[in-house]
Amino acid sequence: MSVPEYRRVSVSCQRTPILRDISLTFPDGKITALLGPNGCGKTTLLQCLNGVSRVTKGQILLDGEDFLSLPPRERARRLSFLPQVRTVIPSLPVRTLVEHGRFPWLGFARKKTQKDLRIVKNAMEFAQVIEYADQSVDTLSGGVRQRVFLAMVLAQDCPVLILDEPTTYLDFQGQRQFCALLRKLKDQGKTIILTLHDLNQALRLADHIVVMRWLSPAEPEPVPRLHSHGSFLPKGEIAACGSASEILSSHILEEVFNARLKRFEDKDGVCYFFE
Amino acid sequence: MKKKKLLLIIFLFLLLIFSAGLGIFFGSVPLGPGEVVRAFADREGNPTAFTLLTAVRLPRVMGGIFAGIGLSCAGVILQGVMNNSLASPNTIGVNSGSGFAVMIALMLAPGKVWAVPLFAFLGAFLTTLTVFGLAFLADSSRTTIVLAGVTISSFLNAGINTVKLLDAEIYMNLSSFMAGSLSGLTVRKLTLPCALILAAFLACLCLGRALNVLGLGDDVARSLGMRVSLTRLVFLILSSVMAGCVVSYAGLLGFVGLIVPHICRQLFGNDARLLLPCSALLGGSFVLVCDLLGRVLFAPYELPAGILMAFIGGPFFLYLLLKKKGGRRVSA
Repeated sequence: MSVPEYRRVSVSCQRTPILRDISLTFPDGKITALLGPNGCGKTTLLQCLNGVSRVTKGQILLDGEDFLSLPPRERARRLSFLPQVRTVIPSLPVRTLVEHGRFPWLGFARKKTQKDLRIVKNAMEFAQVIEYADQSVDTLSGGVRQRVFLAMVLAQDCPVLILDEPTTYLDFQGQRQFCALLRKLKDQGKTIILTLHDLNQALRLADHIVVMRWLSPAEPEPVPRLHSHGSFLPKGEIAACGSASEILSSHILEEVFNARLKRFEDKDGVCYFFE
Repeated sequence: MKKKKLLLIIFLFLLLIFSAGLGIFFGSVPLGPGEVVRAFADREGNPTAFTLLTAVRLPRVMGGIFAGIGLSCAGVILQGVMNNSLASPNTIGVNSGSGFAVMIALMLAPGKVWAVPLFAFLGAFLTTLTVFGLAFLADSSRTTIVLAGVTISSFLNAGINTVKLLDAEIYMNLSSFMAGSLSGLTVRKLTLPCALILAAFLACLCLGRALNVLGLGDDVARSLGMRVSLTRLVFLILSSVMAGCVVSYAGLLGFVGLIVPHICRQLFGNDARLLLPCSALLGGSFVLVCDLLGRVLFAPYELPAGILMAFIGGPFFLYLLLKKKGGRRVSA
């Protein structure tokens, strides 16, 4: 079973606890969406997996092994991670960028083999960016660029794929295309974990949903609160997790997001909509 | 596309050989190719030519080539690691830091051949770390970092002048050291720095892929399994070795480290694996040509290579800036 499992994990960011005592598992070979308001620690939770957040307590297991004690390159061979907003838009050709997805396998100086080249080509074909292979990434539109980055993490050839807000900056068409690719990846057996902001998109895309919320629901701003004893309290917690239908029937999303759920029925079946 | 780049590389290679040839043939006493061959074939018959070649021309050409390689590659690395197109050993103050350390070395350990490159490296490395620390702490924009570099530069240049003025026994020509010059090089002075530059350069060539990945941003590099801080430190050490070694014998040569990577980025794109060797080739030629012009244009007077470099490089860099509208480079 190739899914990350959080065991009583606490995370701090510059001495401020963000999350405390989180235990969480994800279903194998499914799409899991992480939902929650801004600043409740979704990104922090995921970034334990690429080494950006520092885990202060607890363990993360993958394949029964202590994931965090593995060397970074070994981690990147088992789990690929696409970070949220990329500050840098590389002016490299698409092919070169996608080839960098092989970095965990190639290291600093090993030469690319036929196998590496084949994986890179397949990744570009899958993400439908092969026709841009020789163009520079910074000349492409946002939607294509995001697919190029998807191709890069696919070239890592890992069973687990973590995507932090992959659809946030895409237009409608771009989002739909991207989600279709994710469904195809699931059908190939990959485990996908992603954060989303669009509840309706999450309901349509995800099999499994994890809902996070502010530790204190009245919290207006994502600033660390100073406890009366002078210590910081953590910011977020997990409100619920379960299959998409379980989450829907528990009405937790309405509570966390202060939203109203509407139910529609037409010839294609039942459809839910948050507003 | 690929073929065009290959032709360009061959051209750069020929250009380097050509400028090296010119550097050997021309000077206060021009020597034809025939005379050069004869001088080596029959040492006793042409003692003056032989001495001139081995003691003056060849060290000078070698020093020029390695200065170009060292500073250009240091420039490519600093630009990639800091993600800042305006970074170069000169603009962020690495050269000055290294120059200051050279003065200290000359003051504390005069006549020790090994001391100068060692101090030059330490000076370069400490300055790099300082500027990098400032950039990290202030989380500042590209321009702020360059401004910080300029400030550090003038601070350290003041230090250089102070040491020189207070210790009159330091044997050096301050004005050509500050401008950067290749005159008076000897094989003895060059051996250690050039060997170190060569070693660092070869290491960089192997690490081109890592420089690219680092240029994708810390998050992405981490996700790809890179030990980001460690890799960055290795690159900063390599660039300090190269810049420091050049400063140890050629003084504060400016502009090569900024302008050559810029030209190469326009010609070859931003892939460090191509950028590093090409910048090295072009950098070597650029230094050699500037040095040659400095020797020939106003003969019998000689201008330091660094002055010619500023005369040619300055306007050219302005042209590049205007053409690129701010000269921002987004990635490595």
